[in-house]
Amino acid sequence: MTAAEETLSEMDAPRSRTSIVMRWLLRRANLVLGAVLVGLIVIVAIFAPMIATAQPDAQDLMNTLSAPSAIHWFGTDNFGRDIFSRVVYGARISLLEVVISVGISCLVGVPLGLIAGTLGKRADQIIMWIMDILFAFPGIILAILLVSVLGASLFNMMLAIAIFSIPVYARLSRNVSLGLKEMEYVEAATALGASIWRVMFDHILRNSLGPIIVQSTLTAGTVVLAAASLSFLGLGAQPPTPEWGAMMSDGRNFLGVNVYLSLFPGLAVTVMVLGFNILGDGLRDLLDPRS
Amino acid sequence: MKTYIARKLLALPLIVLGVSLLVFLAIRMLPGDPARMMAGPEAPEAAVEAMRVRLGLGQPLFMQYFGFVVHAIQGDFGISIRSNLPVASEIANRFPYTFALALTSYAMAILIGVPAGMAAAVFRNRWPDQIVMLLAIAGASVANFWLALMAMNYFAVELHWLPLLGAGSWKHYILPTIALGTLPTALIARMTRSSMIEVLSQDFIRTARAKGLGSFAIYRKHALRNALIPIVTIVGLNFGSIMGGAVVTESVFNWPGIGRLLVDSVRYRDYPMIEGVTLLAVVSVVVVNFLAEMAIAAINPRIRLT
Amino acid sequence: MAVHVKALRGVALLCLAAASVAVPGYAGATTLTILQSEPPRSMDPADQGATFTGNVLMPMYEGLVTRGEDLKLHPGLATKWTVSDDGLTWTFDLREGVKFHDGSDFNAESAAKSFHRLMDEKLGLAGAGRLRPLLKTVEAADPKTLKIELTRNYPAFLDLLASPQAMIVSPSEAEKGDLNRVASGTGPFKFVEWSSGDHVLEEVNPDYWGEKPSVDQLKWTWSAEQSVMNMALQTGDADIVNPLPPVFAASIENNPDLKLVTGNGSAVFWVALNVQQKPLDKVEVRQALNYATDRDALVKALLHGYGTPADSPLAPIPPYHLDGPQPYPYDIDKAKALLEKAGVPDGFTMSVAVQEPEANIAEALQGMWAKIGVKLDIRRLESGVWTKAAFNDPEAKKADNLGSVVASWSSGGFNPDQQLRPLYDTSSWAPSGANLGFYSSKELDDLLDTAASTAEPAKRKELYDQAQKIVNTDAPMVLLYVTKDLVGVKKGVDGVWLIPGGDIRATYATKSSN
Repeated sequence: MTAAEETLSEMDAPRSRTSIVMRWLLRRANLVLGAVLVGLIVIVAIFAPMIATAQPDAQDLMNTLSAPSAIHWFGTDNFGRDIFSRVVYGARISLLEVVISVGISCLVGVPLGLIAGTLGKRADQIIMWIMDILFAFPGIILAILLVSVLGASLFNMMLAIAIFSIPVYARLSRNVSLGLKEMEYVEAATALGASIWRVMFDHILRNSLGPIIVQSTLTAGTVVLAAASLSFLGLGAQPPTPEWGAMMSDGRNFLGVNVYLSLFPGLAVTVMVLGFNILGDGLRDLLDPRS
Repeated sequence: MKTYIARKLLALPLIVLGVSLLVFLAIRMLPGDPARMMAGPEAPEAAVEAMRVRLGLGQPLFMQYFGFVVHAIQGDFGISIRSNLPVASEIANRFPYTFALALTSYAMAILIGVPAGMAAAVFRNRWPDQIVMLLAIAGASVANFWLALMAMNYFAVELHWLPLLGAGSWKHYILPTIALGTLPTALIARMTRSSMIEVLSQDFIRTARAKGLGSFAIYRKHALRNALIPIVTIVGLNFGSIMGGAVVTESVFNWPGIGRLLVDSVRYRDYPMIEGVTLLAVVSVVVVNFLAEMAIAAINPRIRLT
Repeated sequence: MAVHVKALRGVALLCLAAASVAVPGYAGATTLTILQSEPPRSMDPADQGATFTGNVLMPMYEGLVTRGEDLKLHPGLATKWTVSDDGLTWTFDLREGVKFHDGSDFNAESAAKSFHRLMDEKLGLAGAGRLRPLLKTVEAADPKTLKIELTRNYPAFLDLLASPQAMIVSPSEAEKGDLNRVASGTGPFKFVEWSSGDHVLEEVNPDYWGEKPSVDQLKWTWSAEQSVMNMALQTGDADIVNPLPPVFAASIENNPDLKLVTGNGSAVFWVALNVQQKPLDKVEVRQALNYATDRDALVKALLHGYGTPADSPLAPIPPYHLDGPQPYPYDIDKAKALLEKAGVPDGFTMSVAVQEPEANIAEALQGMWAKIGVKLDIRRLESGVWTKAAFNDPEAKKADNLGSVVASWSSGGFNPDQQLRPLYDTSSWAPSGANLGFYSSKELDDLLDTAASTAEPAKRKELYDQAQKIVNTDAPMVLLYVTKDLVGVKKGVDGVWLIPGGDIRATYATKSSN
């Protein structure tokens, strides 16, 4: 949709403020849907103790592998724990994974790209060479390599996932800084004696915040999937952490007797990743209309 | 075009070098005596000593890495701690299974993704488009191992239609292929759709239409060529995600490929095997990516992937 | 550049290889498919000690003696034997006209070579540990007579000779150094292939000296996935599943097309506590853990009823098992009081090493012991890695900060010395024995020695009762449960039998076509 069309349709719209908002939202249905899904997960994570019907680790060995019921909405697992409550608390773990992994990769990747783009020449080549190497690895395989060296734990897994996401942010901020360097006001500012780093950093933040947010949202989906995969393989969260991937891994032992153990955590992963992916698409349309 | 290829060709060995360096360093980062780690905790002292010589411990790190590369080029990745067999021969036994699964997954992705993407483009913004796009984003969001578990539960446990483990007959391929092929199918559908939309809005199509050529003829004429790019792009550039996906999918389905080999090796702390599998998997991804980039450049010289 | 070119060529080769992935097998042959929970570790029977590897190898190898379906010992490659009065010299008459699968002859010479491999410390075969200290000399007296000198009197020597580690291997194959991946024995089945990561295939040995098996091929596959084990049986992918996870036992029993074969398993599960580690050095703490363990719940939730709570270090097999009330009935209050008495009222943190398939035990205990403030840090390990961690010496365990180990032991249950001595005697501290928590009691050591040399049954029973009481009171372990062996079998498959502890024998199984 071009800017002209947008103005036109807004002029046609009824005067009511709410209906303008409604129409704007409708045109960005994916943005709304994504935000709703992600928002749902965030709310569940924050209010987990209030939403959960039981303690996530409370075992009841006399009532294992039960089907969904009025008391246990998603049934119970092989230790008689309430699956619903575990899925609810699992939202916290997954959000933690997203925040830590995306956070670390942003905090490392963005400055690296900035340095590469600003300094150029040899520094640029070396940094981007390293980034290309990391990028060449399939994420899961790099993470497995790192976890096999560091040992399997929730934090090591988040670190490993963060490392394989670094190149994305480095490339992004490098491209922005390359473009910026050519801009007149940067040249002017540095000519006036301002530190190039200061100028670049200010402008980078201002100009690349949009793409970084879009990228972070899209990466968040990848992070959730990667974390679930690694925990599923036993290389991430350890028992009794109610991590969704780890729960599915437990659940696969009972397929044929009880499918709910893997069904519900898997649905939760799908909803969360779907939410981040749709939101990311929506944000990209909003912030970066070219693509 | 020539400089582009030359640049890519020069970059390739640099990346391979870097990848091997990273794998080498990661394993050397292990706490404890590297020779003991690589020989295995039960190896007699003589074997550990032999490993020390092989690894070049005591020499500068650079020389150790050089030795590692020389061995690797000779196809010598050491002896597996778990099986006592040469790492290279174990990988050679397992890799075909992974490769075969990658092939069937790509076949699924192309056979479903391309027509679906075209349909979406032709019926843009109408219900077929919306359904395809919804499925595509769902396909890109679902955890493939979860899909695998659910498919196993339904088709194998409930219906007894399909076998569920191992790699014997063609039936064994169905469930792992669905699990592994879903992501590339979704990606190809999305990419086919956008490239078709771009083509359909171009002037020559409008001209052809004005000339009275039937829609079907137009699609057939221009669609095939334009479908090639998404196929090559996804097949080539997403080979890495297939490799990554294979690790989990193979573990679920007991598939005897290198993905499961890697997971088993990590569980067993079979470091020579971890080193070998990682290196080979990544190098094959790098090479396939490179070939894909070349192919894309050949199909459409205007496209330059960084 | 060399790397690049090589890699490319490799890819091309692999493309070709991918086109030819197929599993051999011929039409019309009856194949019995057996699914187990772990892959074989070696094709060399002496270079492994795993139950499930032994199961794969036993149809292809034979020992001097063979354990029959009646669980008694029968002539195998030896037709008869004698033992000297001092119990040190064994003489075996060997079967004639027997050939190895590679065509070479079986005789006293080749049998001796097979034992020499076990005695060769340089060879360092992983399964040689039990026989090596016992064997003094093994030699061929003449082509059909084997003479074995022992280092000490060991009445149960024949039992050891029936174990997989003592199987007679082809000397020519052994010399080639191929035995770890190519089996070559004298058994009714011979090795076809070991497709790493998928299956081991065996076919009938047409030259076998004895009774021919009924099926043409045995195919051994494996999966660590419990649900796969169940589904494979349900879908017909496997004819026999060993061991069947207890959670599926009920559905197998209810399925008219399937059978559940159960054996009175003798595997006792317990948690070995490192008594050298604080606060586990205090007996009150160890007793508290025992009181805080709800064994009935464990049996119900983890074994789905297919087992019994453990109440003694011995399996509940007469006559030596100490019958009586459970020494540690589930009692949280008592546990808390004991912890308070020991000076750790708020509990403590303890690590536990557990094999992956048994991780559920640790997780259940984690939940139970949390109620008395004990935080369990679970280390879930692949079985090979677990073995190394569990059998570390006191120093290494201290460095590893390993507080406890989930373990199980099955000794056949008929000789208490084979259970109590390796697990609780001072001389059995890991790594030389399976006293994984370094428990030491002079009183118990003496009792065990006295009991072992006591022949009179009533007296013997009394001594072992006393020994069990001592171990129970000192509680160097938390007793868990005793399992039943469960094997799932397809209807129409008969003649499969079990040896307590997870061994199955399917060599002479029959399979009807419907």
